Amino acid sequence: MSAWLLMLPAVLLMAAGFLYPVALLARISLNRTNDMGAMEPAHSLETLGRLVEDEFTWELAWNTATLAASSALMATALALPVALLIRGAAPRWRGLLSLMAVAPLLVSGTARIVGWMAILGDRGLINAVLAGLGLAEEPLRLINNWTGVRIGLVESLMPYACLVLIAGLGRLDARLEEAAATLGATRFRTFLRVTLPLAAPALLAAFLLTFVLGVSAFVTPRLMGGGRVFVVATEIFDLALETVDWPAAAAMAMLLLGALAAAMLLRGLLGRRAA
Amino acid sequence: MTHLVLDRLTRRFPGAAQAAVAGISLELPKGALLALLGPSGCGKTTTLRMIAGLEKPDEGRVLVAGRDVTALPPHRRNMGVVFQSYALFPHMSAAGNVAFGLEMRGVARAERAERVRQALALVGLEELAARRPRQLSGGQQQRVALARALAIQPDLLLLDEPLSALDAKLREGVRDEIRALQQRVGATTVFVTHDQTEALAMADLVAVMNQGRVEQLASPEEVFERPATRFVATFVGRAARLSGQVEAPGTIRCGEALLRAAETPATGAVEIFIRPHHVRPVAAAENLLPARVLRRTYTGEVVSLECETPAGRLLAELPGGVPEARATAGDTLSLGFAAADLRVFPA
Amino acid sequence: MRRALIAAIASMALALPAAAQQVGGRMTLQAYAGIFRDNYTQVVVNPFTSARGTQVQYHDGGTSAQMLGTLRAQKADPQIDVTIMDVTTAAIACAEGLVERIDASVLPVIGELDQMARDSGGACGPAVTYDHLVMIYDTRSVTPAPTRWEAMWDPAQRGRVALSAPPNIQGLALTAILAHAASGNWRNVGAAMPRLRELAPNVQTFDPNPDGYTLILNDQVRFATGWNARAQLYRDQSQGRIGVVLPEEGTAFQVNTINLVAGSKNRQQALAFMAHALSAEAQKAFTERMYYGPTNPRAQVSAEAMGRTALAPEFRNRVIPLDWNEMVRLRDNWNQRWRREVIAASGR
Repeated sequence: MSAWLLMLPAVLLMAAGFLYPVALLARISLNRTNDMGAMEPAHSLETLGRLVEDEFTWELAWNTATLAASSALMATALALPVALLIRGAAPRWRGLLSLMAVAPLLVSGTARIVGWMAILGDRGLINAVLAGLGLAEEPLRLINNWTGVRIGLVESLMPYACLVLIAGLGRLDARLEEAAATLGATRFRTFLRVTLPLAAPALLAAFLLTFVLGVSAFVTPRLMGGGRVFVVATEIFDLALETVDWPAAAAMAMLLLGALAAAMLLRGLLGRRAA
Repeated sequence: MTHLVLDRLTRRFPGAAQAAVAGISLELPKGALLALLGPSGCGKTTTLRMIAGLEKPDEGRVLVAGRDVTALPPHRRNMGVVFQSYALFPHMSAAGNVAFGLEMRGVARAERAERVRQALALVGLEELAARRPRQLSGGQQQRVALARALAIQPDLLLLDEPLSALDAKLREGVRDEIRALQQRVGATTVFVTHDQTEALAMADLVAVMNQGRVEQLASPEEVFERPATRFVATFVGRAARLSGQVEAPGTIRCGEALLRAAETPATGAVEIFIRPHHVRPVAAAENLLPARVLRRTYTGEVVSLECETPAGRLLAELPGGVPEARATAGDTLSLGFAAADLRVFPA
Repeated sequence: MRRALIAAIASMALALPAAAQQVGGRMTLQAYAGIFRDNYTQVVVNPFTSARGTQVQYHDGGTSAQMLGTLRAQKADPQIDVTIMDVTTAAIACAEGLVERIDASVLPVIGELDQMARDSGGACGPAVTYDHLVMIYDTRSVTPAPTRWEAMWDPAQRGRVALSAPPNIQGLALTAILAHAASGNWRNVGAAMPRLRELAPNVQTFDPNPDGYTLILNDQVRFATGWNARAQLYRDQSQGRIGVVLPEEGTAFQVNTINLVAGSKNRQQALAFMAHALSAEAQKAFTERMYYGPTNPRAQVSAEAMGRTALAPEFRNRVIPLDWNEMVRLRDNWNQRWRREVIAASGR
C-alpha cells in the first residue's frame, strides 16, 4: 500500500507529462485539415490513412530506422573502448573520466553544430588538411547531408552509450578476466571470450537506448542535414510548424509511437523466449 | 627439492603509507602446501597475486622450479588459481570453464574433452558438466573452480580463501577434500586464509603474516606450540596473557607468584602466554598455583575454566570427562604447567 | 490665488483633448521576437502606450505557426488580444474563428489602407507590414554586385548557396518568382523546376541554420535568400558585409496581418492598438526603422527608407502577383516536387 503511495508522484508526473499529451495528440490526429489549411474537428482516421498510403511515409520510416540503427551501432561500438578504459582506470580517476565521457551532453545542440561546421564544412578543418596535403581536389561533403547527420548523431548518442556501458561493465567482475589470464588467455582472447560475451547485455541495452534516441532525434538531422535528410522527426516538425497541418503531424507522431511500442513489445517477447 | 622461491618480494600501493608486502622471502618444497595466514590487510592476498602475476612487485623476485617468472604476464605462468569468489565464467558450462585453459593452450578437441572429463571426475562432478555456474551450489562451484585450475596441470596451485564463501558446515569437509586432492595430484600449493584452523589443518608449512611481513614460517605444530613472536602467539590459538618481571634468567615474578620458564630474556618486563590446554589441574608441576574458579564454560568436548591465581587470570581447558571438569564457580583447584610451555616475550 | 486657479484651468484645458483619447488598461500583443520586437516596441508600441495610457504586454510568439498554436491552445480562454502573423497562417486562424472578422465599420483606419492590404486579410484583420523576398550575398567575395537571381547559378558558386526549401515560405516564394520569370505565371511550377535543378549543385544547404545571414558572415556560403526588412538591418549591422538585392527577375511579397483575437478580454484596447498600428504615423515610423513596406499609403515615408522597400517606384513592377491563399493549395505538390527533383538532384 505504502509502495503504491510512494509511486504516486511518479505516476502523476507520467500522466501529466506523457499520457495527457499523447492523448491530446491522438485526439488531434483524428481531426482533418481542409484545403485552406484550417483544422476541422472530426473523428476520422482519414489523415492517418492518407499517411499510411503515402509512399513517402514509408521512405521516411526506412530512412529513420536505418539512420538510427547505423548510428546506434556505431555509437555503441565507439563507446565500448571508452567504457573499458574507464573501467580499467584507477578508482580516483574513474569519476572524472566518466564525467568527461558524458560532458558532450552539457553542450547545447546549436553550439555542437557550430563546432561540427568548423570541422566538417567544405572549408572546415578536415577539408583544409586534405587540401593542404593535396589529397582532395574537391572538398569532401561531410556536412549538410546524410554523412553529416550520421557523424553528428553518433557523437550525440555516444555519451548515452557510454553511460549505459560504464554502468553495465562496472558490474562485470574483473576477477573473471584475471581468471582467464591465469588460464593462459592473452588480453585479446580474454576480451573476445570473456569480456565481450559478458558485456553483451550492456551492449544490447546501449544499442537499444541509442536506437530509440536515434529514431526520435530531431536536432541533429535538422541542423546537420542541410535540408537533405528526411526522417520522421523532421517531417513532424515541418508538418506542425511549416505547413501547420496538426492532424497530419499528430498522426505521424502516433505512427512513430506505435512503431516504437511494437519494437519494445517484440524485444520483450524475444527476451522472454531467450530466457 | 625447492619448487617455489619468493625473494624479498615487495609491493607498495601508490598513496599508501606502508608497503602492502614488505620484502617477503620464503622457500617451498615441491608438492608442499603453504598457508599464508594473517588478518585482513596483512598482505597475504597481494603476495598470492604477485605469485600469479596479477600484481607487479616493486622489488624482489618469484622463482618457480628455478626459473625467474617475475617479468612474465599471468597467461604465461601456468599457475592454477582458485579465486575467493571462484570467478567461474557465467556464460560457460562447468565443462566449458574447465576446458577454457586447455583451449588456450591449443589442446586438441578430443584430448581436451578427455582431460575435462578427468578433471571433473577428480572433483566428483562429471554429471554436472553441462550445468551453468548459476545452476550449481556454492560447494559445487568451488569444485569446478578447483577442477578448472587443476586441468591445466599447473606448476603451482594458488587458492585465495577458497572456503570463505562456503557454509560453516560444509567447510570442514571441503577443506579435507582439497587437502586430499592436493596430495593425490602432488600440486605444490599456496593457500591464503585468515582462518587459523584451516591453515593448521591443511598446510605443510604456515607463514603467519602481519603488516606485510612474515612473522613466522614453520610447521603448523611449531606455529601453534612455539609461536615465534608476540603477534603469532596472539593471532594463533587462545592464550592467557600475564605480565611479569624477570627476576633472574628462568624466573619471572608475576603478581604474587614466581614462575619458572624455559626461556626468558635476561631482564626486564615481559609478557607471558600460556595456552589453555597446557594448564592442568595437577598436584605436582614445575609451576603450581592455587586457583579459584571464576567461570566455567561447557562446550561438550572440553570444559574451559577461567580462574583467578596469584599470578593473574589463567585459562584451563580440560577434557570433558575428568573429575576437575566438574568444578563450578567459587571452587578452588591447584593448576600446574610446565616451564617449557610458557612463551615469554619482552613487554 | 487667482493665478493658481488660472493655472489649474489651463492645465485642465490642456489635458482635455488627451483625456478624450485615453484608453488606459492593458492588453497583450503577440508578434515576432528578436529584432522585430525591439524595433516594433520602440517605434510603435511605446508611442501608443504614452499616448493612450494602455500598458502593452509583448508576447514573443516565435514563428507564425507557433503563434497559431498558442491561439488554438488558448481558444477557450484567450490571453492574447492582438496578433501579428504571416498571412497564410492568419487565414487559418480566420477560418478557424480564432480571430475576429473585422472591417472599416469597426476599425475606420482600414478604409485608409491600400487595396492589397484590405484583401490580404480576407474577412479578418488587414495587412500591417509588407516584406519581400531578396537575394542576400557576401559583398566581400561577390563582385561585381549582382543584380539578378541568376548570379546564384554561376558554376563558380558551387556549394556556396543557401536556400530554404519548401514548405518554408521563402522556398515557395522563390519557386513562384522563378515560375513567373520563366512563364509569366507564378503557379506554373513546371517552369521553375528545371531552373531549380540546375541550381541544386550549388546549394550548400536547403535549410540554413541558424539563418542565411549567419552562414554568410561565417564564410559558409556567399548567397542566400532572405526577407528584405531583416536583410536591410543585417546589412546595416554588418557594415555592408551583407549585400541585399531585389533581383530583376522579380520578388514576391510576404504579408503580415494584424488581427483581433476572438474573445479578447481587452477588446477596446485591442482595437485602439490596431488603429494605431495601421495609422499613417506608426506605419511611417516602422518603415523608417525597419524597412517593412507600409500598408497605409498616407504614411509619409522618407524617400531613403521607401527606396529600401519593394514599394519604391522602380521596384513596384518587379513584385509578382502571388496570392498566398492560393499557394496554400499548391504547396503540398510543390513540396514533393522539390524533394524528388531538386533536393535529390543536389548530389551530396
